[in-house]
Amino acid sequence: MIDADRLKILTESAKYDVSCSSSGSKRVNAKGGLGNASVGGICHSFTPDGRCISLLKILMSNDCIYDCEYCPNRRSADVPRAAITPDEICQLVISFYKRNYIEGLFLSSAVCGSPNATMEALTETIVRLRKVYNFNGYIHLKGIPYADDALIMRAAKYADRMSFNIELPSEKSLKLLAPQKTKEGLLLPMKKLSAATEYDRQNKIKSGRVIPAGQTTQLIVGASPESDGQILRLTQALYRNLGLKRVYYSSYIPVVASPKLPTEGAGLLREHRLYQADWLLRFYGFDVDELCGEGDNLDADCDPKCAWAMRNMHLFPVEVNTAPAEMLLRVPGIGARGAYRIIKARKYTRLDFDNLLKMRIIIRRAKHFITCNGKFYGAQSQGAVRAALMLESHADDAEQLSMFSSPDIAASAITGEI
Amino acid sequence: MTYFVTDGSADCFYTAVFDAYRQKDAVITSESNLQTQLDSQICEVVADGEKCERVKRKLRQLDAGAAGDVELVLRSCNPLRENTAFEYIRLIIEHGGPVRNMLAHPVVLEISDIRKKVTGEIHKLKGFLRFMENTEGVLYAPCSPDNDIVDLLAPHFAERFKNQRFVIHDITRKTAAMYDGREILVTFADSAEIYLSEYEKYFEDLWKQYYKSVNIASRPHEKQMKGYMPVRYWKFLPEKQR
Repeated sequence: MIDADRLKILTESAKYDVSCSSSGSKRVNAKGGLGNASVGGICHSFTPDGRCISLLKILMSNDCIYDCEYCPNRRSADVPRAAITPDEICQLVISFYKRNYIEGLFLSSAVCGSPNATMEALTETIVRLRKVYNFNGYIHLKGIPYADDALIMRAAKYADRMSFNIELPSEKSLKLLAPQKTKEGLLLPMKKLSAATEYDRQNKIKSGRVIPAGQTTQLIVGASPESDGQILRLTQALYRNLGLKRVYYSSYIPVVASPKLPTEGAGLLREHRLYQADWLLRFYGFDVDELCGEGDNLDADCDPKCAWAMRNMHLFPVEVNTAPAEMLLRVPGIGARGAYRIIKARKYTRLDFDNLLKMRIIIRRAKHFITCNGKFYGAQSQGAVRAALMLESHADDAEQLSMFSSPDIAASAITGEI
Repeated sequence: MTYFVTDGSADCFYTAVFDAYRQKDAVITSESNLQTQLDSQICEVVADGEKCERVKRKLRQLDAGAAGDVELVLRSCNPLRENTAFEYIRLIIEHGGPVRNMLAHPVVLEISDIRKKVTGEIHKLKGFLRFMENTEGVLYAPCSPDNDIVDLLAPHFAERFKNQRFVIHDITRKTAAMYDGREILVTFADSAEIYLSEYEKYFEDLWKQYYKSVNIASRPHEKQMKGYMPVRYWKFLPEKQR
């Protein structure tokens, strides 16, 4: 059984991986087995940094052959190294799961020996967990780039979700900071997995599907010079072409001193804006071209939906009692849940501002863009709308930043439910 | 004002709906939350199978999902739960069908909010419940949820644990959901004496170590932690004990 010292090393090495979600899979328990997956995901605890614990996030080994500039476990770093055996991992998962500490396992590893050897060790561990320990809870497995396809596909049969981290948003930055990795080398296994899930989907395969919860990826923001516009174009392509479930952004933290890396962190606000824009791409029907020019960054002063609305004032105000759903979704202050409520409620009665307030629409923001029964309560000129929204947006962001003791190195928390 | 006082059970509530329906100033409440005014009349309701069934049948005819809403609302800790559910039933009968989507109506909105609080707590406890193993291999989880939900939580864990026996104990309401590997039984449970397995402390300490290590100490965000995981749930979380 693992001891506290190794657990500490292997957890501390794994904790900068942002993803902790346990959603998207409906895996059912088998006779005599332990565990199942809950499609919405479940958070089991929250750490003092505000992030959720859903999965046991651990590396099999932190002893790496690569020397990526930004990584605390890179070959040239002088840090304590440790490893854990497949049986030790399985026993830890089972005993934590039984006590309801966790929803499952997020297993990753430094590239130890060779990509194939590492991928094989990871795969054998989760196969053992499924077959010998009869575990049917959630498993997120980190893929190792440059490992053989056959190994990756075998792993995909047993994992609920897999992720290959893109790490940096362009080929140029990879060359500079992670010289042993190339964009094509990172994207290739993602394309293979995407083709395999697409095959299952088209053939309506119900049981034994590969990675039922799909793939995710993570990229570091602010370690290299790419603009938000470039990053979001990459994101949109990943969602549309490879069917990824999530792209995670990790605001660069200077854990490692290097002449090739910036000395300061990218900050919470930039990461926050990227996540807001990411949401608009996935759930609000926006296209990246509407949000941000290729070489541009997102507006720091207000959220991307407000920024878009202010650039398109000729489309507003819209009448809440008649506007189509896709237009309601584009009104600042009306979220997906608010739009849903409005559409349901307006079938029975004409809505006024008081109704909207009770339905928890953010009126102070939405009022500039809507009419209720023909009445308009927003600011009269475009300049006044901008001023009002900026003021409000600043109040929101100041609040968010102040939650961190040092905004420079802050990164927003990602909950396991998403 | 006439107060129809129930014993807190669903059957008694439906009986009260039957009795109170034609009265103008009727209020339904359960004893524990009773606050009457000087000029009010009090009417103690005794559960009546036939009256209860008639109300339920009527409700089923008009809206198949309404009984489910009412069931959840009656589990709430909201002191006005019975009367809000009563007004909701009245609205369904007056409207002659489901009113769930009339979200501009204050009663419908209130029902939707109470319901969300109850289902929200069920979801939270699916994560925050902590089991410990006793010497016979039975898992035991004490809790004190805001709403009366242990029996609604149990099926989730029964599905996960299959053959594994467990007990979820609501120590404030003194009820427990027990699972013997086949079926769930809900019973009165005052206090429990637990003899923990010899491994329990070892795993608990490992978990505490994990909790400490996975935190990124250089960026504290306590407000967000407490927002997602309210302090009232910490009592039963080993990682939040010293």
